[in-house]
Amino acid sequence: MKKMLAMLLTGAMVLSLTACGNSSSGNAPEQSGSSAEAATESTAGSASEESASGGSPVTLNVTTTYAGEDTNAENYQEAIAAWQEKTGNTINDASGSSAETFKARVISDFEMGSEPDVLFYFNGVDSNPFVEAGKVVSIEEIRQVYPDYATNMKDGMMGASPVDGKNYSVPVNGYWEGLFVNKAVCEAAGVDIPTADTTWDEFMDICQTIKDAGYTPIAASFAEIPHYWFEFCIYNYLEPATHNILPESVDDEHGKAWVSGIGDMKTLYEKGFLPENTLSATDGETFQLFIDGKAAFLIDGSWKVGGIEGATDDIDNFTVTYVPGKNNRKSTDIIGGLSSGRYITKKAWDDPEKQKACVDFITYMTSDEMVSKFASVSATALKNGTQVDESQLSSLAVAGLDMVEGATGMAGAVQDQVTQEARVPVFNGMPDIVTGKADIAAAVAELLDLVAAGQQE
Amino acid sequence: MSSNIYRNKKPVIFFLVPAFLFLAVFLYYPFMQNILNSFKVINNLGSSAKGWNDPWYTNYVELCKDANIRTALVNTVKMIAATVIGQLGIAIVLALMVDNIKKGQKFFRTVYFFPIVIAATALGLLFNLVFLYDKGMLNQMREIFGAAKLVDFKDNAHAMLTMMIPVTWQYVGFYFIILITGLNNISDDLYEAATIDGASRLQRVRYISLPLLHNVICTCGVLAVTGALKVFDLPWIMFPKGMPSNSTWLTGTYMYYHAFESHNVDYSSAISVLIVILGVITARIVNAVFKEKDY
Repeated sequence: MKKMLAMLLTGAMVLSLTACGNSSSGNAPEQSGSSAEAATESTAGSASEESASGGSPVTLNVTTTYAGEDTNAENYQEAIAAWQEKTGNTINDASGSSAETFKARVISDFEMGSEPDVLFYFNGVDSNPFVEAGKVVSIEEIRQVYPDYATNMKDGMMGASPVDGKNYSVPVNGYWEGLFVNKAVCEAAGVDIPTADTTWDEFMDICQTIKDAGYTPIAASFAEIPHYWFEFCIYNYLEPATHNILPESVDDEHGKAWVSGIGDMKTLYEKGFLPENTLSATDGETFQLFIDGKAAFLIDGSWKVGGIEGATDDIDNFTVTYVPGKNNRKSTDIIGGLSSGRYITKKAWDDPEKQKACVDFITYMTSDEMVSKFASVSATALKNGTQVDESQLSSLAVAGLDMVEGATGMAGAVQDQVTQEARVPVFNGMPDIVTGKADIAAAVAELLDLVAAGQQE
Repeated sequence: MSSNIYRNKKPVIFFLVPAFLFLAVFLYYPFMQNILNSFKVINNLGSSAKGWNDPWYTNYVELCKDANIRTALVNTVKMIAATVIGQLGIAIVLALMVDNIKKGQKFFRTVYFFPIVIAATALGLLFNLVFLYDKGMLNQMREIFGAAKLVDFKDNAHAMLTMMIPVTWQYVGFYFIILITGLNNISDDLYEAATIDGASRLQRVRYISLPLLHNVICTCGVLAVTGALKVFDLPWIMFPKGMPSNSTWLTGTYMYYHAFESHNVDYSSAISVLIVILGVITARIVNAVFKEKDY
């Protein structure tokens, strides 16, 4: 009897384990591998059968970063619901927050052959593995079949792949970087807010005056987020056309520009223009200094507009302007670009049932109207520009739009061409660099060696 | 009939196999794969290896030269010391004191155990606010008492101490509960006999409580040391990327950094192999030091 009972219990346990396994894979948002395909097939079920008999609705597996706290997560859900209703097709959404685990999942899906049909993903070095593997279709190839595909976009701004310079993705919303200003601090210190005409030297004088008045001129954590200042400081020794060219050696023109730019960051630290705890503070702490009226300036991206709006009750106290320039870089030359876009995977392209649906879905999601809705104040590649109702925007957001409109040049962030591993000597080593414990040229040389090693691999 | 089930081991094996398979698939196989990965070139999480390192032991040579690994090892040793002395030491003192009071034992048990149920990430954020440079609780208190200059509790001089205090504080309650349970198991007869013989409170603790608590303390010691080797979440929340100036790395945080931040996955695998080796060695040493006694 007891033996029977033991066998029954064992059987029940094994069954329950199997059941748990089934339910978890069935509910998992990240469909991958054969489970994703199985889910697709089961969801599409009759649709697939109908497709076989001719032109019926299909199910697309779509992966994006519009999830979690992303400001466009709701817009995205509304958009795909409307598209599904309009076309009768089904979206199998496997979106996830843009974190390292998400990136790992996407890369892993491509490796395992379980990639989605449509992917919204980064177009910099992060996309290299699947572009190199030929697992996504270029815009050029798509246009051979669908000549009107993404013709509302400027080809030069689509965000060409670092692998072969071709466009593979259709961008939606991009970014810009600018100098956010706490007006009250500038007023209290008796300085004018920098404008398009302010030079770097004048900016240094402004910072000195602010410091003398007892405020912190620049809110920045060189321990955690030095890259915004890195971009503009080296940009000051280059131009929009040359900023994105990686140095081949520390001694060439670009290498010297990098060394000089990082030298300027060291000067900022030595002059005491940064928070006293810049080498031990987090980005959140220095941002709070800026919000609390203890620091005057902050370099950050277009995404920070929403962050500042959420952190203050007096948004009119903040504005954004150009980062003062020097040498050949005009102050109105900004950093910006479109760092992600919508890809069609080769697997979906080669599937006659899905090909048209993928093209239709991306065309719908990248229409002028939809891009305007998603982009708001950020940069886009639309030929006609965004259709934004400025009356609905805060004064800070309008200032951002004005800044982009008045820009004389735009270059993408050069750090996007450097892998995370290669960034370590300069970005993580910044505290040692600005305190003089590490040599700038040696750190840049080490970074370039890592870049070269990565390219050889 | 009734004893037959105990003689027949087949059902027992049947129960053990699923758990063994689970461990084999989700622990032993990844571990073996991780050892292989440490000899390969892997530049992205999720991507396959691009071949073997040249030479294949490159990462282990790099480990020997890496100044941050030395910092991480030294800090981990400091963390072990802080854990044993801080967590276990404070827990013993608290347990002995609470055991000596007649009223309020339940209250103190709850109060001291409470930090355990708070998520480490929440504790990290809480202590970030306590140690914050500008407007932090400690700096505000210092200002009340007339201090004119703010202290950066996260600078090079204070960082390790600032990290160890919350880590220590978090787990005191865990060992406190184990120890007080051990104290409750000591017969009152022994204390009564000692009292009749004229022993003072301190003598009762010295000659009855502590010796009879020896095995419990040993278990807590092993748990504390192995726990210190694995500590990750709270230090990472308070001091991401080894801030400031690579001075607060622990083996766990440094491994995580290379896997998820710098994308040097193969080097991260090598660090994790090092952590396992250190864990095995430390566990053997700790088992030898905290040897349990038979009474």
